[in-house]
Amino acid sequence: MDIKRNHQPPKLADRFLELYCSAEKLEQIQGDAYEIFYLNLEEKGLRYARFRFFIHILSFFRWGNIRRTRPTNYSAMNTSMLKNYFKIGWRNLIKQKGTTFIAVFGLACAVGCCLVAYLFIEQIWFKGMLQPNKNELYQLTYTVDENEGKVTYGTVAEPIAELLTNDFSQIKSQTRVKSGFPVLIHRRESFNQRVIYVDPGFMEMFRYQLEYGYPQALSEPDQVILTYELSEKLFGDTHPIGQEIILVTHGKEIQYKVGGVLEKLNDMEMFNFDLLVNFETQEMSGIAVSVKDSWNSELWTFVQIDSESHPSELSAGLEEIRKSQNEINPEKPYLNLELVAYTDLISKSEQIENGVISFLAIGPQVLLGAIGAFVLILAVFNYINISILMATKRLQEIGIRKVMGSRRSQLMIQFLTENLIVCLLAICFGCLLAVFIFLPGFNQIASKSLRIDLFNDPYIWAFLIGLTVFITLASGLYPAAFVSSFKPINILKGNQQIGSKSILTSVLLTFQFTLAIISIVAGIAFLQTNYLNENRDWGYDNSDKIIVNVPESASFSALKNKLSAIATVEAVSGSQHYVGNYLAESSVTYNDQDYEIDLLLAEANYPEILGMKLKAGRFLDSKSATDLTENIIVNEKFLSALGLSFPLEEAIVLDSIEYQIVGVVADFHTEFFQRPMVPTVLRATGESTYDFLTLEISPGSASSAMELVKVSFREIFPNGLFEGRLQADVFEFSFNDVRGVQNIILFSAILAVLLSAMGLYGLVSLNMSSRIKDFCIRKVFGAEMGDLSKKLFRRYLISWGIASVLGGVLSFVLVTSFLNNFFAFHSGVGLLPLASGILGLLLVIGVTVSSQLWKVYKANPSYILKSE
Amino acid sequence: MKGYHLGELEELILLTVGILNQGAYGVSILEEIKNQTGRSVNISAIHTVLNRLEEKGFLQSKMGGATEKRGGRRKRLFTLSATGRTAIEQVKTVRNKLFEQLPPLAMDFSHGY
Repeated sequence: MDIKRNHQPPKLADRFLELYCSAEKLEQIQGDAYEIFYLNLEEKGLRYARFRFFIHILSFFRWGNIRRTRPTNYSAMNTSMLKNYFKIGWRNLIKQKGTTFIAVFGLACAVGCCLVAYLFIEQIWFKGMLQPNKNELYQLTYTVDENEGKVTYGTVAEPIAELLTNDFSQIKSQTRVKSGFPVLIHRRESFNQRVIYVDPGFMEMFRYQLEYGYPQALSEPDQVILTYELSEKLFGDTHPIGQEIILVTHGKEIQYKVGGVLEKLNDMEMFNFDLLVNFETQEMSGIAVSVKDSWNSELWTFVQIDSESHPSELSAGLEEIRKSQNEINPEKPYLNLELVAYTDLISKSEQIENGVISFLAIGPQVLLGAIGAFVLILAVFNYINISILMATKRLQEIGIRKVMGSRRSQLMIQFLTENLIVCLLAICFGCLLAVFIFLPGFNQIASKSLRIDLFNDPYIWAFLIGLTVFITLASGLYPAAFVSSFKPINILKGNQQIGSKSILTSVLLTFQFTLAIISIVAGIAFLQTNYLNENRDWGYDNSDKIIVNVPESASFSALKNKLSAIATVEAVSGSQHYVGNYLAESSVTYNDQDYEIDLLLAEANYPEILGMKLKAGRFLDSKSATDLTENIIVNEKFLSALGLSFPLEEAIVLDSIEYQIVGVVADFHTEFFQRPMVPTVLRATGESTYDFLTLEISPGSASSAMELVKVSFREIFPNGLFEGRLQADVFEFSFNDVRGVQNIILFSAILAVLLSAMGLYGLVSLNMSSRIKDFCIRKVFGAEMGDLSKKLFRRYLISWGIASVLGGVLSFVLVTSFLNNFFAFHSGVGLLPLASGILGLLLVIGVTVSSQLWKVYKANPSYILKSE
Repeated sequence: MKGYHLGELEELILLTVGILNQGAYGVSILEEIKNQTGRSVNISAIHTVLNRLEEKGFLQSKMGGATEKRGGRRKRLFTLSATGRTAIEQVKTVRNKLFEQLPPLAMDFSHGY
């Protein structure tokens, strides 16, 4: 009899029989088949019995036995049954509000994070995919042979666009697209704005919703279309249509009228711009150009092809254009001229030079994706743990249902239905969280305008549905399979023990703790790094300095004199670039070896004004002729990189001229701390024009001086773009960036800790509720609270111990490499982040478990033991 | 004569059901045939024949007798109906009548061997 208990006829064949056999014959046939199976099992062993069972089931597959019509009351998936699953599932969730809340909250946070990560990744990979005409659009590209091999360019010669109009009947419309940064002047204020010059066809090919005006506004050469953001910035509440603005292109001022304002764009658009300008108008401003020159000027060219035509129909005509190009421009002959589908532009962005999409920002994608995955894993593990434990309370239900004839698959459907309900709730709350909390925060940090666009964006639906299915299956499949596998006889006898000691639970918990530690360590290490960097010495005195740009070199001296006349300005120095932005890259030769360096051309007093620290030698003197022609100053890094020591006899060759090093200054940060120190050469020139002026201001008067500087600037350049800034603020943009990343990481660390704490809380409280009697009896017999807590804590402490080791090592490796990618100067993963991660988690565990122990401590054993 | 035509397997199974009296169902019939004749018949063939015989009215059936071996499923127990009984008897009569007309095995060497 033992054999019989242990062995069952093959499930597969059995299911097949149930599938095809008509209801009235099923019982006798199945019974006989089973009986023969057990006869064979006793006589000839399992293999033979199973084999014969298969044969029998196949031989029963006869016309007479096959079911003709599907009886309606048999299906496990009909509507009333589905309704039943939902009803029971819903009741169960309502009954266990606390645990349901933990599950839904955790999953909702995870969904919110994943949505943000997804939207960020979507706006990179599905950029422009929401355009209704996307399948008819193509971009022209050409390939040429260059030194490093064949290179494909996304820009083509300008006249090709005109040839296209004449030669092809398949082309519905076309547009040239050229981006530029002209100065925009409105009410005497000047702005630098991103402009794209397009043909009127642009608005037909690419659909944009307009807030005001109409898309055809661009057909008038003197009209422009603004984005909503720009219109708000320029005109505020006043109606923008018909307002006048001035654009300065090629030194000429052209007046435009606002013809339209786009609705708010999200980041799904292919082109980045603030205003659209008719292409012809910027041509008018230029002078007449030769044929050769016009073929040398290149720009993006897009065409829209009839939906009935195929792009290959154009290839013959394009070949003609290619030939004429080769004749006109034999130095740079096109190898081929091709149409690239608009929808392929992203995936081909690596191959196309000068394309619309130049880089894909892989780093942030990985960071956000990793955070999303972290939180999702945490939440799913929480849910797995909790749902297994919750099932212990439902063992009787499972047993009874099995006895009543429920199949295992039906029980699994029951559990998965509950999961589905939880998931749907989580998705809804997750979307709300994302829309109202996560996305606004993220958009502000990353200066993006991501949003969930359920009406226009089919991809977001696919993502949400995919996420629902994934979470449901990932979190529900194992618990459902595990719980539904129990034997009813064991359950009803009360022999079934699950949950409290399951290894899987411990493994999942340990994994959660590990993730929590990693995220805490990452957060603290990033915070520490930022703190160190914000207080880092920049290598020079950055206070009380103003940097002013010089829009036109002709007026350099005038501006310099004007600014020098301001009372609070103590000294002025011109420079080609300025410290804090970036310097020109160059190379020096020393002992026949080339070294990459940064080169700063400036007036001789620039290092002094900037307050650089002289380490050896002297500064340059503007009065000395040799200082302006033969001498240079270098930084310490320069000496160490070249292996030199000061003073130095030999000359350094820079641009094939020999220079003497007369001074060494301390290393200074020319760029943000993402970049290591670079060997730098400071050279003074006798030239009288530079692009920037650095002013030294009397201490404490920086902001008032800025106003005066601006007034003086306006007197010289009424329409020039004023970009004055404080030297102390040059890294402000980068600091904001890094602070944003820091906030994201800290936020995810807090979320990770919160989720693991909630999971732990759910676990402990469920455990406790099933063992409270045990504890009470111990208490009655005089057990100390210490002993009891040791008993309860032990397991979690073991998990914590393993997680500390794992998390410590993993976080050290991961966070170090992350910081290395992000910063050249960082704190590294020291004792502080590691200890705070590990001990912080211990604290969280302690508080969570203690809160449950408190329950035992307060509990009156007589009440609890009496109840039930 | 007409209406009582029985195939060979049909006859065999009809007889076995008769022998087994109250306890005739698929597997017991299979076992009985195996024991009595040494012939192993496919269970699905037995089911088909039983159903056909029931349609013809030679057998009656009812459900009953669930056992653990059958996974708690009931058997379909067959009994011989009156028509069935008549049919077997008639078949037997016909067969006997024919058998008796069989000439004795003559051992005359009249063929010239």
